[in-house]
Amino acid sequence: MLELIDASRHYDVAGRAVRALDGVRELFPAGSITTVVGRSGCGKTTLLRLLAGLTEPSSGEVRRAPSHSVGIVFQEARLMPWLDVAANVAFPLKGRLSDVDIAARVDEALTLVGLAEARRALPVQLSGGMAQRVAIARALAQQPDILLLDEPFSALDAFTRRSLQRVLIDIWSARRPTVVLVTHDVEEAVLLSESVVEMEAGRVVGRVTVDLPFPREATDPAVVDHRRSILARLVGGTDPVTQTIHSRRKQ
Amino acid sequence: MPARRFLAPTAVFAAVAMIWWLAGRAGWTNAYLLPAPSAVVAALSDLAVSGILLKHTLISLQRVLLGFALSVALALPLAVLMSASRLARVVLDPLLEFIRQVPPLALIPLLILWLGIGEAQKLGIIVLASFFPVFLGFRGGIAGVDPKLIEVGRVAGLTRREILTRIVLPSALPELVVGLRISLGYSWRALVGAELIASSAGLGYMIIDAENLARTDIVLAGILVIGAIGLLSDLVLRLAVSRAFPWLSADLEATHA
Repeated sequence: MLELIDASRHYDVAGRAVRALDGVRELFPAGSITTVVGRSGCGKTTLLRLLAGLTEPSSGEVRRAPSHSVGIVFQEARLMPWLDVAANVAFPLKGRLSDVDIAARVDEALTLVGLAEARRALPVQLSGGMAQRVAIARALAQQPDILLLDEPFSALDAFTRRSLQRVLIDIWSARRPTVVLVTHDVEEAVLLSESVVEMEAGRVVGRVTVDLPFPREATDPAVVDHRRSILARLVGGTDPVTQTIHSRRKQ
Repeated sequence: MPARRFLAPTAVFAAVAMIWWLAGRAGWTNAYLLPAPSAVVAALSDLAVSGILLKHTLISLQRVLLGFALSVALALPLAVLMSASRLARVVLDPLLEFIRQVPPLALIPLLILWLGIGEAQKLGIIVLASFFPVFLGFRGGIAGVDPKLIEVGRVAGLTRREILTRIVLPSALPELVVGLRISLGYSWRALVGAELIASSAGLGYMIIDAENLARTDIVLAGILVIGAIGLLSDLVLRLAVSRAFPWLSADLEATHA
């Protein structure tokens, strides 16, 4: 069970209340894979932080089964600089599993993200993309019931991104965690989810079911169609860039 | 390690010695007030051969290590306590801040009255002088922990205690190490100060005794030894740290305490 019930989150910025999340009611069924799309600042990260229990709602409720473990990938890698790659991946498991089990999980996760060779490297020695892959491996090694991802692939090059998107789908198909992935990339949303939640200004403005088999290809006409219709709704007539072009044309 | 890292600093020392020697030769300095380097080296080797130097050095070293260890043993738990407890901060901060503002040397008369002129008084001065760099460095390091790393621990379901031991303390380590280095240096200075005023042994005593006998060569020899040991102990501390925590090496190079 993973659910937001009329959840709002307000921040106080220089005396002004900013509504990062405004009365969101959303159910993420167990074992589903959902993406949340929207522009930067639309409240997607706040939504994810509420689901992770890192932020309390100002009003409303977040429901999550207390027994469910949570794995999270943040926008930044957030590795412990004093631990090497393997120890970073093992970090959430330490003290919870035997050393043998941890080693096996770490090996598996690092192989999945293609970093088995870098297990002894320190975070300072990694590129941004490599560090992000370690962070992904850290969440995967937990084999969590709930997997939350905040723009996990945006720091990666196109090839790595594609292969890690595939890894995510494989893992979800095999273990069926509840996955919520936040992204501003509509194509990624269509490729990676059963349903796409569209957000704007702290509210959910749409929910689209993408009923296509996995793995999906970006060039598949059905994917392209979904992408186009979501983009059209999100960008709509309110897009400042298009508006500027229109008004210039009028002149 | 490239040889240049040793060559250049050595050359600077050699140049200073050269100017010192030339100044004596040219008659710009009084040989009594500033003996030539050769005289100082001769005094140094006499002291070394007779065993006097070793005796005083060992006594001073022992005091420094004991006082420094005592400081660290006091500062670490107190820093953790004051970082974790608001009550402890409210109660203890003003007092500690008051003590910090008083130079340890100003407390020597009191310490002599309270602790006598024995070892306790010297340890007291060293602790007063070296406590704050460790304490403040560690506290600063704890306060400076990246909240984003703590969130990683929170999502993983770590307890408060685990977050402290597995995230906060390791990330406070670089600033703690800087504090330790400063503190070790302060220990030396305070010790020599204490030995100058009331002591019957130690490098500070050796210097003040030599001054009374008008042996400026021994005074300078003592100063050289104190400086050299300070330099060496900092080097040993840095080496030990970079061995134990390889990820800190970059930080160590960047900070010059």
